[in-house]
Amino acid sequence: MTESDGVSVIDVAAVPESIDLVQNTFEAWWSALGIDSMEVRFPFETAIVEIAANVIEHSIRADGLEGVDGRRFQLELRAEDERLTAVFNDNGLPAEIDLSNVSMADLEDEDGRGLALALLSLESLDYTHEGGRNIWTLVCRR
Amino acid sequence: MMTVGVETVEGGVVISPQGRLTVVSTPQLRTEVSTRIEAGDRLIIVDLSQTTFVDSSGLGALVSCLKSARQAGGDLRLVAPTEQVSMVLKLTNLDRILQPRASVEEALHD
Repeated sequence: MTESDGVSVIDVAAVPESIDLVQNTFEAWWSALGIDSMEVRFPFETAIVEIAANVIEHSIRADGLEGVDGRRFQLELRAEDERLTAVFNDNGLPAEIDLSNVSMADLEDEDGRGLALALLSLESLDYTHEGGRNIWTLVCRR
Repeated sequence: MMTVGVETVEGGVVISPQGRLTVVSTPQLRTEVSTRIEAGDRLIIVDLSQTTFVDSSGLGALVSCLKSARQAGGDLRLVAPTEQVSMVLKLTNLDRILQPRASVEEALHD
């Protein structure tokens, strides 16, 4: 992990166990910011965990059950005066995602809530595929 | 990291996930609940007072456990969710089918 004024960056393997590393990094970054509001923290943290899980799941699914060694993702957390930004980028296969078409799962469903939860928790969520990398940008007001 | 506490009480069993309930740790919860249902417990109380964070896979596990408990003729009730957990239950509307109780006592006698 690297860290400088309000910025924290990690680069980790695209495996489920990395979710804990993402949350540990978020907690350290958040503590350093000194923002008290849980009403800001919880939605942003929830969205970050959901997108991390989505990146990892997509890497595993797109590559087949065995996965491909070397699939990794980078997360940059950045605090500015009026907003907080998290940018994921990974070297997995392009994700076929239409964020305008995401809706919350039905009550009895056991999955299908992740992206909808992230969208509800953020000011904005964008996905692009550039230069062979998937890029997710998450923004919330601070 | 998460640990799961299990305590048998009169009328049911209290399962207490402690820490983060995410994609990494949901198998532990699912296993514990299905073990208790197979052992004959019918009222499963999930005490969330020490669950610091739940993601969508954790929510999916709670829905799955609720369905398993009801299929066995029982029920699953949530108790004392922390702030982040209450938030995601509301955002996903799951508080309609997993309406939290304030205490284990209340969940036992509801």
